[in-house]
Amino acid sequence: MSGVSLVGVSKSYGSVKALDHVSIDVCPGELLALLGPSGCGKTTLLRCVAGLERPDKGNVEIGQRDMTLVPTRDRPIGMVFQSYALFPNLTVRKNISFPLEVRRRPRKEIDERVDELLDLVRLSEQAERYPKQISGGQAQRCALGRALAANPEVLLLDEPLSALDALVRGRLRDEIRRIQQRVGITAIYVTHDQSEAMAIADRVAVMNHGRVEQIARPDEIYDMPATQFAATFVGSRNAVELDVRNGRVAIPGAFDIPAPEGTGSRAIAFFRPEDVRVSGPATSNGREAVGMPARVELKVFLGSTTRLHLVGQNGAGPISLYSDLPSHSAREIDEGALVHVEIDPALVQAFPL
Amino acid sequence: MAVDAATSRPPATELLGARRAGEATLSRVAKSLFFGAALFYLCVPMVAVLIYSFSTRWTANVLPDGYTLEWWQQTLSNPRIQSAFSTSVMLATLTAIIDIAVVVPAAYWSRVRNPHIRPVVELAAAIPFALPYIVIAFGLMQFSGIAAPQYQGTFALLVAGHAAIAFPFVYWAVDGAMAAAGIERLSETAEACGASPFQIVRRIVIPNISPGLVTGGLLSFAASFGEFAMAQIIGRSLDTVPLWSAEMIRSYSDTAGSYNRLAVVTLLTFLLLFALSAVVVYWNRGQTVRLLPGAGAARTGDGR
Amino acid sequence: MATLSRPIVKLGLESEGGSASPTPIARMRGWLAAWLPAIPLLLLVATCLIAPVVVLVVQSFTSMGESGLTLDLWTRVLGQRVNQDAIETSLILAAGCATITLAIGGPLAWLISRMLQGRRAFWLGLLNVAANFGGIGLAFAYMATIGSVGMLTLVIQGLGIPFDAPRQGSMFALVVAYEYANIPLFVLLTIPAMAILRDDWWEAAQTSAATRWIFWRRIGAPILAPFLLAGWLLIFTWTLGVYGIAYGLAGQSGATAVHLITLQIGTALQSDVLLGPGRAAILAMVLLLFAATSLLLYRTMLRRALRWL
Repeated sequence: MSGVSLVGVSKSYGSVKALDHVSIDVCPGELLALLGPSGCGKTTLLRCVAGLERPDKGNVEIGQRDMTLVPTRDRPIGMVFQSYALFPNLTVRKNISFPLEVRRRPRKEIDERVDELLDLVRLSEQAERYPKQISGGQAQRCALGRALAANPEVLLLDEPLSALDALVRGRLRDEIRRIQQRVGITAIYVTHDQSEAMAIADRVAVMNHGRVEQIARPDEIYDMPATQFAATFVGSRNAVELDVRNGRVAIPGAFDIPAPEGTGSRAIAFFRPEDVRVSGPATSNGREAVGMPARVELKVFLGSTTRLHLVGQNGAGPISLYSDLPSHSAREIDEGALVHVEIDPALVQAFPL
Repeated sequence: MAVDAATSRPPATELLGARRAGEATLSRVAKSLFFGAALFYLCVPMVAVLIYSFSTRWTANVLPDGYTLEWWQQTLSNPRIQSAFSTSVMLATLTAIIDIAVVVPAAYWSRVRNPHIRPVVELAAAIPFALPYIVIAFGLMQFSGIAAPQYQGTFALLVAGHAAIAFPFVYWAVDGAMAAAGIERLSETAEACGASPFQIVRRIVIPNISPGLVTGGLLSFAASFGEFAMAQIIGRSLDTVPLWSAEMIRSYSDTAGSYNRLAVVTLLTFLLLFALSAVVVYWNRGQTVRLLPGAGAARTGDGR
Repeated sequence: MATLSRPIVKLGLESEGGSASPTPIARMRGWLAAWLPAIPLLLLVATCLIAPVVVLVVQSFTSMGESGLTLDLWTRVLGQRVNQDAIETSLILAAGCATITLAIGGPLAWLISRMLQGRRAFWLGLLNVAANFGGIGLAFAYMATIGSVGMLTLVIQGLGIPFDAPRQGSMFALVVAYEYANIPLFVLLTIPAMAILRDDWWEAAQTSAATRWIFWRRIGAPILAPFLLAGWLLIFTWTLGVYGIAYGLAGQSGATAVHLITLQIGTALQSDVLLGPGRAAILAMVLLLFAATSLLLYRTMLRRALRWL
């Protein structure tokens, strides 16, 4: 198995810097997700690995071999496109066998390999259909089969699910993961959907403005975003701008943490809605309520959880925040009720503003 | 292994890179030559006509013996040429107006009410497309001789004939514009807002298909303006620009400057077409104007 | 597309209270509501396109002084050497022109379809002018360019190269002049089809290790071929029917000029008193047959072209 190394890759289109000195190592057999908003450079990076774009500076290595100047067709890669890019004049079977026929493998070997792949992507029954006769999910599975046909060292996936509807998306995502693990291939997966990246990847690289903001395991990114951008982009979070007082950032009553390094007079604090502890209507069970008093403005039932829109009442101007509670424990809290709010300081990240 | 690869690879990739660069310049040169030749082929006849219209005598040397504005003055003040131009402009304008007037309601109705209209009109549009104008003209002459002899050779019959052969241009342009604007949806919305059919057409349909109207109108204008076969066969007593030109080109000798006057008229026609074409391309924002008839579905198909 | 198939014709009937058998008047009203806006167009088509063709068909099967239908006119006209000659020459000219158009226009359309907006608009405008620049004007432009005293002729002779301008009635002259309008027309017609070939197919082929040649052979050519052949058929049909350019170029050299179907129709109408209209009708029928065949093939081609898309 081979890994992929990107060393100081830069690419500009006119005055726009699509990639700004990006270095990433993808370990052999790993699935790395490139996550970021549109225009962050993630697709450009993938296309540099594929050789469809030539970086202005830096090197692309696959399995320790420098591929920077090698044309796409000589790279050991397979690629899945957002638009499927299936050849419309070839059947599913012929699409999958295309990379093998191009490489002039013996007929018998091709047939065996294609049968195996059709089985792997579960399209044996649709093998003789043309691309326009199959569904989007089937088309993308076919594209996956084609990408894997010639046993490439690296699998590249460019937003493979974004053209599909929600139901198919989740199922195909898990299937791509299953196949990637079964084949044991190194994969780079571009997406703008953070939950998709979290669900499928061994590691996630969060990208913004042509730079990598953070690269880590999904749970690490989710719990400990390294930058303000990563914090806003990954997961849904409360973001509260606060004054820094005596080197500390605090919502009085709710939490109080030391200010991060390099902070001026203002900071922004992030914490997740499910980490906001709400003690029900004041002194409901005789216990002294702790935390910041807050009023429930709106209660939104979301199924297993219920989201409360809260406005803090701590004197220093209203603070709006969300809290997600298991629905059964939110049952007794009504709109307009006064509650108390607390957040574990270990789960709060603050960044300088 | 890794070291080995590192030392042996670079020359190979450089070679590849160099060869690819060589290929690129070669194909770029070939491309420029190709386009240069195309430009030459398209422009030289127009330049030749231009020079011809300004030259005194041009039979022996690379460049004319002298230059003059005489032909332009003569041509522009010639009453016969003036009348040919006004006849042709009138003919082409009427053709465009009639075509728009008959095509828009039919195309609109086929989209919002009666889809059975579409195949009928599409079949009809294929007739002038495939059948030479000279055949249609001859048939029309014979038919009018039987059905309405009093109209034979009249301007009115020629207008009708031109409207019939030019309507497909309007139909394709208008129908395409209606598809692009999603006229069914717009029309339903307007209906839900309480608009009457007349209001819908005037305030919703027409404004939203204006690129198609302009394109179709101008294409049918151009088709009628330059049409020769039908004008010769059923409008023989009339004097249109192509008929006048045909008379000049067959006048066998150039002694009276008839070729120079023909050059002026050809150039004027050409300038008119150029202006029309510029308007069409502008209205369509650099998109293509024509389509392989019947291939419309190809543009909307998502083709994965 | 599904929204188009609403059967509104029936709606007109239902509006009569949904009674099982609507009165004839109600049925008439429903029909009118469904077809009225299309009637002016249909009338125009019926009187100026369909009726004339029908008249020609009937005339081709009748003969002077005889009643009833007969093939007499067909056999007499098609038996004449000059007419056979005209048909043969027209077919060769049309096939030749269409092939040349395809060979030059195909690549041109491909390259223009891949241009940036601004440059593409320039070429489209230029081609649109040329495509509409036909008839007598084009014939004259040809003469002014490579006629016996045309500009190019004079330039070449001025360079000291012995050069005789091709005769105006010759095949060569007709081909050069026809192509001036044909190639632009072909390009304008096929550019939209070129857009069907998506760039990510080429990228997917590259990631499958295909070379440019393999891509064109296995993917590009099969997808575009039916469109290009449909274009070939159209140019073939149009070239058969061209009259103005041929009249301007070939008409002048009179008897020595090539024989073409359209020119023969024109001559028959103007000078041939005895067999005139009859001869013209048969020749028109020949053109009609070619047009109908080629239209049929054209439709088949397009259906084939669209089957994958």
